[in-house]
Amino acid sequence: MDFDWSVIVDAMPSLLNGARLTILITLAGLAGGLVVGFIAGLMRAYGNALLNGIAFAYIELIRGTPIVVQVMFIYFALPVLADIRINPMSAAITAIIVNAGAYIAEIVRGSFLSVHKGLREAGLALGLPMWKVLLYIIGPVAFRRMIPPLGNQFIVSLKDTSLFIVIGVGELTRQGQEIMAANFRAVEIWTAVAIFYLIMTGTLTLILRVTEKRMRML
Amino acid sequence: MSMVEFRKVTKRFGSVVVLNEVDLKIDNGEVVVLIGPSGSGKSTLLRCINALEEIDGGDLIVDGISVKAGRSQVRLIRQEAGMVFQQFNLFPQMTALENVAFGPRRVRGASRAEAFAQARELLAKVGLADRGDHYPSELSGGQQQRVAIARALAIKPKLMLFDEPTSALDPELRHEVLMVMQSLAEEGMTMVVVTHEMAFARKVGTRLIFMENGKITVDGDPATLLANTANPRLREFLQYVN
Repeated sequence: MDFDWSVIVDAMPSLLNGARLTILITLAGLAGGLVVGFIAGLMRAYGNALLNGIAFAYIELIRGTPIVVQVMFIYFALPVLADIRINPMSAAITAIIVNAGAYIAEIVRGSFLSVHKGLREAGLALGLPMWKVLLYIIGPVAFRRMIPPLGNQFIVSLKDTSLFIVIGVGELTRQGQEIMAANFRAVEIWTAVAIFYLIMTGTLTLILRVTEKRMRML
Repeated sequence: MSMVEFRKVTKRFGSVVVLNEVDLKIDNGEVVVLIGPSGSGKSTLLRCINALEEIDGGDLIVDGISVKAGRSQVRLIRQEAGMVFQQFNLFPQMTALENVAFGPRRVRGASRAEAFAQARELLAKVGLADRGDHYPSELSGGQQQRVAIARALAIKPKLMLFDEPTSALDPELRHEVLMVMQSLAEEGMTMVVVTHEMAFARKVGTRLIFMENGKITVDGDPATLLANTANPRLREFLQYVN
């Protein structure tokens, strides 16, 4: 067969549009996921039995179910259960927040708990309350250790957005699928889609690499 | 009024009794050296004073405040009792100067300029005026421990607790730390020191306490006890450390 470049040129506007949505879902989802993950992770690491239990249940629920099921639940089941109408885009972002949040929680917990307990004692011995010890002493050390596993999670979440094809969000994979359905040029379209993903994950890797280089690992 | 008063303090780890109804009074200006075999409870006793270990029975009063008086009161005790650890425990993301300035800034609420000026003075006092911009990983063990002493002094404590401050150091690095501790004692600082440095006990200590199985079994003048003790267990112990 011959590779028809004009197919890609024609598809470019739609693919770019899809990539834009993919980036949007990823950025909004990960921003929310970081907040949720930090809260849940700290609840797991330092909370009392109740807070710890709540966070544990959340993490187990999310890690134990596929993200496709989660987004279907948010988009199709929630309206029935709770009378909440939600558009596909919000459902997609919520799914990433909830899903990435659970994995990030474990990353946060692991990083904080990996910090030598002597640092906590040194901070407490100065007369600081625990939250200040976490904020000024443990947090900065733990944060540096989080970067490699967070990088993994960011990339996984970015690629997970392709699954939102099931609720009709016009992200990159969905755009590819629609163009393909019209012109049947599978090779050109899926090659182009794959390259778009590579560019996006590659950029993420680069950003994380630079961040890591600029920080002294402790 | 005593600076520290143990009243029948008991501490358990699970079913193991680490401190068994300990009574002890430490007055202002005393330099108390705590010795004893490993597992005798000397580190635990020290860590109870600033409530890093919670006591299970009795009461413990530090500078007029009970360690059982609640979190905010415990923080007040900790601000009066500086602590130096065996493993230094400097904050690795901060320079030496930032480590020393940290307490005044975050605990006492001092301004940045004020805290750093004071930190420079303290680093000069422990002989590290030229190391302020170094990170802990760039300092020797002895230097790190001297920074840790400066950090503890920065919050202006009334009492200093030392938990085996030279045990993680090479012999030639111990000296520089002990010299700093000695000058601190000469300034009249109240100190409680868990250590195996008998020369320090003899020269600087005003009181020597020997612990066995969670109890204080010998308590007296260091020079007298080290020269000739009636207690057979202490005599045996001293043979091993000397």
